[in-house]
Amino acid sequence: MSEPLRKPAVFSLDDPRVVVAGREEQPAEAASSIDQGAQAEHLSAAPARRVWRWPWGALFWSALSGLVLLALSLAVTRFVEDLFARAPWLGALGLALALLAGAALLAVILREAIGLARLATVEHLRERAAAVIASDDRESGRALVADMIALTRGIPQLARARTRLAGHRADIIDGRDLVRLAERELLAPLDHEARRLVLAASKRVSVVTAISPRVGLDLVFVLINALSLIRKLAVLYGGRPGALGVLALFRRVMAHLAVTGGVALTDSVLQQLIGHGLAARLSARLGEGMVNGLLTARLGLLAIDLVRPLPFCALPRPTLNELAGSLLRSAEPDPAGDGRDRRDGPKSQ
Amino acid sequence: MPDAFHVTPIVADIVEQARQVARSLAEFGHGLVHPTVRLGVTGLSRAGKTVFITALVHGLVRGGRFPVFEPMASGRIAGAALSPQPDDAVPRFEYERHVRTVVAEREWPESTRQISELRVVIEYQSANGAMRTLTLDIVDYPGEWLLDLPLLEQDYAQWSADMLARSHTPSRRGHAAAFHAHVAGIDALKPAQETVAIEAARLFTAYLEACRGERPTLGLMPPGRFLMPGDFAGSPALTFAPLDLPEGQEPPAGSHGALMRRRYDAYRDMVVRPFFREHFARLDRQIVLVDVLSALDAGAEAVRDLQDALTAILDCFRVGRGGWFGALFRPSADRILFAATKADRLHHTAHDRLEEILRRMTQRAISRAGGAGAEVDVIALAAVRATREALVQGESGGLPSIVGLAAPGEVTHEFGDKKEIAVFPGDLPSDVSQLFDAGSEPSRAAMPRLTKKGDFRAVRFRPPALELTDDGVPALPHIRLDRALQFLIGDRLR
Repeated sequence: MSEPLRKPAVFSLDDPRVVVAGREEQPAEAASSIDQGAQAEHLSAAPARRVWRWPWGALFWSALSGLVLLALSLAVTRFVEDLFARAPWLGALGLALALLAGAALLAVILREAIGLARLATVEHLRERAAAVIASDDRESGRALVADMIALTRGIPQLARARTRLAGHRADIIDGRDLVRLAERELLAPLDHEARRLVLAASKRVSVVTAISPRVGLDLVFVLINALSLIRKLAVLYGGRPGALGVLALFRRVMAHLAVTGGVALTDSVLQQLIGHGLAARLSARLGEGMVNGLLTARLGLLAIDLVRPLPFCALPRPTLNELAGSLLRSAEPDPAGDGRDRRDGPKSQ
Repeated sequence: MPDAFHVTPIVADIVEQARQVARSLAEFGHGLVHPTVRLGVTGLSRAGKTVFITALVHGLVRGGRFPVFEPMASGRIAGAALSPQPDDAVPRFEYERHVRTVVAEREWPESTRQISELRVVIEYQSANGAMRTLTLDIVDYPGEWLLDLPLLEQDYAQWSADMLARSHTPSRRGHAAAFHAHVAGIDALKPAQETVAIEAARLFTAYLEACRGERPTLGLMPPGRFLMPGDFAGSPALTFAPLDLPEGQEPPAGSHGALMRRRYDAYRDMVVRPFFREHFARLDRQIVLVDVLSALDAGAEAVRDLQDALTAILDCFRVGRGGWFGALFRPSADRILFAATKADRLHHTAHDRLEEILRRMTQRAISRAGGAGAEVDVIALAAVRATREALVQGESGGLPSIVGLAAPGEVTHEFGDKKEIAVFPGDLPSDVSQLFDAGSEPSRAAMPRLTKKGDFRAVRFRPPALELTDDGVPALPHIRLDRALQFLIGDRLR
């Protein structure tokens, strides 16, 4: 039932077998583990999560896009041939342009793929962090912190936090505390910024809805704004999603919104009703704007949950009430906007 | 006065409760204005209490490397300073002297043998931005004193009968022979002679110490001050011993029996009860330091002794969640931390096993404290980390070792005292139950490893040189002292 227990032993430091874990040697070891971790992640991240089913939808879209691509390339080939028939130099120019377009398309596809993989990495990190918090395992905690440092390498305002965190790597800290420490050091400034982004976006939406001349226009604006908010949040937390990535995120946010919509409604319905009621008394459009703003805020909060590489553990999760509070406050001391809104309202209708 | 208590123990109890309630009320009111946390630090002698307090206060006052202690890591603590302590009758913890010993002389401070206290006032900014202060009273008391708490509910006759019965068990009879011979010559009903009483107390103390010093020890027995006298050494309150009282006969005034009973009551009322009332019942947070490694070093028998001693001590604990009702009427520790000290004598990969061993040792106390609503945690801790880590390459992935300057006389080897050495202390068993195998004799014999001394060797090291914090302030290195702090007072600094 037990492995053989090794006997105590004493060594002189001059013994060549003794390798002291010093500060200079630590990063090298850690760096290699980052690489390993990152590689392992790229390999394992993509197939990790989903329950596998026959992907009819994906198959359809891939086949269709393949067809379109084929048709397109056929058309282009024909066109280039025509050009060659007309004049050789025209043909050469056409060929060059076609090749350029093909290369650019490849690059775009590659970038999208990398963006998607990175999103998957972030999600995988979050799952690992949750596992470490549950298990309090030191080694996986260390690997996680190393990966977090690698992930946030592109975020300049975290340079100091990263060095501080890397400095604690030689300390003996348990897994759970390590994750909390990484969250506090790395994500506190990002959370702050994320809150600001969400608030700014929802303010913008509420103002634009309130003053938009046509009903359709504000919907378009809300949508575009939501997409750009999601993209900004993902970039903020270290993901670099392309257009596809943003769309995928948006889809998941909407799915979450549908699921949690009811729940969120109950916990913040008072806030919303009050906000709506107050604002609606001032102007129906302002009230609508408020509702749209709150919707954007909720969407932003959900997006934060999806793009944040660690779960909320040491830091408080931003809540809708808190954002709604600032949204309302920002609406109140701004009677000028309200006045303009009223002026604008009748004029547009 | 003691006789009055003796005659009406219920009245005494009520008076006692009333006193505590009155005091709690006063403290509750005071606590609203000046939030105060009383942190009890205890453990058996040589468990590392002094070093723990020294390192903790040094870290708070001078700024330490505490990444896990959130208020300090996030910079919310503006400063902390020593301040005059509230209890004038209690010696002050000699922080300055101990710090000098550790930092300047690189020696471990000598152990303290009585209660002491230190007050640290922490100025901090709460998470919502208000400037606050928290007063932290650190109370250091020997764990042996906790043995006395059950005496509060025993009178002399009960105690005497109990002690005599225990001293006649086969394993203890040898140690108690001299005491038995002396007691046999004392007639409890005859007039008392001071010299006889003194001799009885001396022999009784010698017997208690022999029981404790024996390998394997025969467990700790009250009165705790006989083992760890503090200020009372030689006073009449400590000059008593159990006597063979005749059944149903009240010893007449002036007899040996009456003298001993009076002194026992005096001990209870002047030594035990004040300690309980003034210190123990007022603790908000408690950390129990346990030197598991030295016990492991001495072999499995010592581990079991340690467990017995801990069980005896922790049985006396009184814990419970605060709540407004509890806070008002029965202040008691609502967070208890069990810490295996001197964890720097192990490579960090072995810390989980160390924690597991301690968890097993204190299981009973943990489940009871948890049941009473107190939060309990177990950690491996080194208040001052004297070693670094190294890997000795060799078979099966190498030996995870530690490097440090061994204390003089620790390593009788060709290495000498002046140079650092790498030590592999030996593996701890992954299956902890091997160490605590029900304790029956056959299973002890069958216990596979680590029963013998020498299967595990925890070398003592000299204190380390200072390291620098992020701000460039010299600080003492440590292992998980920040986690202990976060657990003990982190929630009061929000």
